[in-house]
Amino acid sequence: MRKTIKAAFLGLISMAFIGSAYADLTFVSWGGAYTASQQKAYIDTWSKGSGITVENYNGGLGEVKAQVEANNVTWDVVDVLPDQAITGCDDGLFLKVDQSHFINDMVVKPVSECISPQIFWSYVAFYDPAAFPGKKPKTIKDFFDVKKFPGKRGIHTWANALIEMALVADGVKPSKVYEVMSSDGGIDRAFAKLDTIKDHVVFWSAGSKPLELVSSGEVVMSLAYNGRIGAAILQDGKKFNYIWDGQVLEQEYLVIVKGTKNEDEAREFVKHASSAESLALQAKYIPYGPMRSSSIDIIKKGEPYFNTGVDVLPHMPNTPKRLRRSVIADPFWWADNGAEVSERFGVWKGN
Amino acid sequence: MSGKDSFVKFENVDKSYDGEVLVVKGLNLDIPQGEFLTMLGPSGSGKTTTLMMLAGFETPTSGEIYLEGEPISSIPPYKRGIGMVFQNYALFPHMTVNENLAFPLEVRKLPKAEIDEKVHKALSMVELQDFGTRMPLQLSGGQQQRVALARALVFEPRLVLMDEPLGALDKKLREQMQYEIKHIHENIGITVVYVTHDQSEALTMSNRIAVFNDGKIQQISTPDVLYEKPDNSFVAQFIGENNQIKGKVKSVNGKNCVVVTDNGDEIVSLKVNVNSVGDNSLLSLRPERVWVNSDKGDYENSFEAKVEELIYLGDHVRTRVNVCGNNQFIVKIPNSSDHSDLKEGAKVKLSWKAEDTRALDFKA
Amino acid sequence: MSSETISGPILTSDGIPLKVSLKKAERINKIRAFLLVLPLLAFILISFIIPIGDMLTRSVDDRYINTVFPKTFEIYKKWDKQGLPSEEVYKTMFIEIGEAKGFKIGKASTRMNYSKSGWKSLIKKSQRKFKKIKEGPYKEQMIAVDKRWGDPIYWKALGEMVDPTTFGYYLNAVDLKYDSNKKVIAQPENRRIYMHTWIKTFKVSLLVTIFTLMLGYPIAYLLATLPLKYSNLLMICVLLPFWTSLLVRTVAWMIILQQKGVFNNLMVMAGLIADENRWKLMYNETGTIIVMTQILLPFMVLPLYSVMKTISPSYMKAALNLGASPLHAFWKVYMPNSIPGISAGGLLVFIIAIGYFITPELVGGKDGQMIGNWIAYHLKTTLNWGLCAALGSVLLAVMIVFYWLYNKIIGVENIKLG
Repeated sequence: MRKTIKAAFLGLISMAFIGSAYADLTFVSWGGAYTASQQKAYIDTWSKGSGITVENYNGGLGEVKAQVEANNVTWDVVDVLPDQAITGCDDGLFLKVDQSHFINDMVVKPVSECISPQIFWSYVAFYDPAAFPGKKPKTIKDFFDVKKFPGKRGIHTWANALIEMALVADGVKPSKVYEVMSSDGGIDRAFAKLDTIKDHVVFWSAGSKPLELVSSGEVVMSLAYNGRIGAAILQDGKKFNYIWDGQVLEQEYLVIVKGTKNEDEAREFVKHASSAESLALQAKYIPYGPMRSSSIDIIKKGEPYFNTGVDVLPHMPNTPKRLRRSVIADPFWWADNGAEVSERFGVWKGN
Repeated sequence: MSGKDSFVKFENVDKSYDGEVLVVKGLNLDIPQGEFLTMLGPSGSGKTTTLMMLAGFETPTSGEIYLEGEPISSIPPYKRGIGMVFQNYALFPHMTVNENLAFPLEVRKLPKAEIDEKVHKALSMVELQDFGTRMPLQLSGGQQQRVALARALVFEPRLVLMDEPLGALDKKLREQMQYEIKHIHENIGITVVYVTHDQSEALTMSNRIAVFNDGKIQQISTPDVLYEKPDNSFVAQFIGENNQIKGKVKSVNGKNCVVVTDNGDEIVSLKVNVNSVGDNSLLSLRPERVWVNSDKGDYENSFEAKVEELIYLGDHVRTRVNVCGNNQFIVKIPNSSDHSDLKEGAKVKLSWKAEDTRALDFKA
Repeated sequence: MSSETISGPILTSDGIPLKVSLKKAERINKIRAFLLVLPLLAFILISFIIPIGDMLTRSVDDRYINTVFPKTFEIYKKWDKQGLPSEEVYKTMFIEIGEAKGFKIGKASTRMNYSKSGWKSLIKKSQRKFKKIKEGPYKEQMIAVDKRWGDPIYWKALGEMVDPTTFGYYLNAVDLKYDSNKKVIAQPENRRIYMHTWIKTFKVSLLVTIFTLMLGYPIAYLLATLPLKYSNLLMICVLLPFWTSLLVRTVAWMIILQQKGVFNNLMVMAGLIADENRWKLMYNETGTIIVMTQILLPFMVLPLYSVMKTISPSYMKAALNLGASPLHAFWKVYMPNSIPGISAGGLLVFIIAIGYFITPELVGGKDGQMIGNWIAYHLKTTLNWGLCAALGSVLLAVMIVFYWLYNKIIGVENIKLG
């Protein structure tokens, strides 16, 4: 009897070790509707998808850096923003990947050798049409014009996109925004424009907040992530209008963490996840824009494409027409200047 | 009666905490000025509640308490001018001894010099004049007790209340403190109301003792009367050692009566708390009032007894005997040469007087 | 008297000196005791001492950059900081950029970017384009690749990195910096964010401590004096916040306090304030203080309660009996006896508040951010862990100073949790 117990015990222990040696692939993303769309579009469609563990995080590279430095990597594939992709790749936190299968199919050039394409999303202004019975705001200039459209504005608590939008509102062509931002006095000009709405802003930091702010009437218009607005319209039947003019597009990439114990699987998964078909399929579930041109073609042909049987392109930030009046966020500029501008933005908020 | 005749007067005071049980029932009590009155009783008898009503921490449910003829139920405790010594001293731990004593004087806004003088005087009274700068926790239990006493007296209150103040001290210190308190009382002549459950403490210190039980005063009297002449079986039992013999009243003859025990012995006793023939009675007899093999003839009661146990206690021998059907009967025999031949199992003759045998009530 | 007492050490019956024998007997006990505390010791070492040591090291560590550009810095030190550096500096920089492999140069550029924004992209671009440069002189060719190589500001920014240890992060943490000669100067005005944030952090923490004390004291007093059946109920009310998620509570406060929120609506309905003058209670410092006060209240109430529980009710009775009015008795007798609880609760709340960042992030809006938010930002976004470590070390130092002051004024032995 004792022997069998002992054997069983040893068996359990060894199983625990084997278990950790052949751990599932861990995929880390932002959670919510976005991760749900990733699950449906390419985790469920991958042959080994059932072995993937999905974890949520709040962005940033703190955890990844800690794991790599401690040589105990438990996150295999991470969904990151471009400036983090750049910094992480520079600092040796991510593995370089084979980009040959998508490099010629991209809407914008990839920012680093470590990334595989995901989606565009944008910071975009929106409002409840009921709040403006007469003339409705149409441009980002209107968002910054509190005389013409009185009322509070919702903006986020960090500097990204706000600088770009302020400059576009101040008359800078979207394509010239980063030129101005890199020139002397460019940032001062943006802050001067931000000053004009400073007394009329309500700050938000959680993505769900701007929708509540606009719904409750706390503000008359707000900036938000376009996917949140789309979801509110498409799924919750809310009546919101976008102000696509002056929107700032951000990119979302997949990276593989250096030191992963499942490197081969991770590479295979990332390749699958960044295929044109996978990216197109994702748009069925969330109105973000795929980064591969051929995925947009698939969607166009498939309209009404969204899972509820309505057109999804009206909610996508990267249609050619909208791109003409949009800024595509430059992660290199932000990697260079992010800390400095954030500190300035902190000073601006505090005074 | 308006209550003007006495210093402290309780008039028909009832107290209930929950509206269902009365912890003090129809209390009437007069305390003359300068008296040391002790409220004695088991826990839950209502004595502490009575004291707290006098101090002002509890309000009577009905009835009124008078101090120097004035009703005080509506006066808050801090305006009553009554000193109090608490069970665990309640010295303020963050103040020195001096500061503790100065507290009631500062509250009364006395000039600094006068405060210092009074504090010094009060400390001298309890012989702690060198301890003024100590913190209370640096003092021994007895010293803390004396400081508490000094603090209760330093502002010259009309009346001092003491709530089992010696309960936390060891036996020897307790006895010493009893004398000190007694002497202080005699010296300054202040009225003291003292609560204790320790009967020897009560007997040592008091002018009068009120024995509490079940929310009522059972007997109020001087210590000797209480001991010698208890009015009822509770008082007899509670104060001092006493032998109890159950029986029925057979006949009444003037101030005496004859009580028959269960085994048929007839005992001539003093009729105290029985009314008529046939009543149940509990006889009370102090162990030191029983004589062994006495050849004097003037005892009304004389019975044969068997010695069950002898306990040598130095000045006397405590002897347990079986007499009148009671095998827990105690006799205190002085340690003299007369009785050096007593042995366990021996037959002896016990004698006692009718006047020492009190026929009291018996509740079955 | 016998002579034994003065003739040297006392011996045991075996003839061994008593002290030696005693030591031997006690050694076994000591070893046993040590083995018993060993796991705890190891835990404290791993979870407490090592991380703090690591933090202190990181806050001054500048070795990495010196392993990437050792020769450049050596020559750089000779530069007089006038105009542009010599061809030799350009040459060694060119060579060392070329030699550095992979992410080494990336990591170095991240460090360089802390002292001058722009280094990161400059290095990255150069690394790619320098491959075309075959031979010297390098200066002009490098400036041709990117004109920033011809900008003295970039070169001067390297000055603070030439030593393997630096106080640059600490300077940064208090709005100062090194100039190119490692002299300490102030940050440009529009980047002076940290002193402002430090002051705000202490102000908010102090106010939260005061408010939790004001609200918590009566609650703790009730808890300590009410009969058990009521105090248990009250205790549950106090502890309830502990059992609900921080985020849920914070969101609930948002709903209540925002301008179109429940509280303002009620005030408008009651006619106490005009519709257009609704109070701003959320997304600012007021909101931060209100929400943090509620969240940290239990940390004040519990130590207060456990101390008050030990204050005998007879003290108050004695004070009343001695003639003090209830207010006077409370102030002179009860309150001084509850100081250990006030100290413990106050210190606890202050320490927790000073490092708070989730609540300020959510409800702080434009001016509610605290130093913890900046630590989180640099920890996750810029990966400037040196600055994080410096900010954290300053926080630690401030706490030690506070503790020291507290010890001087009130005395540590007066802290009591029960």
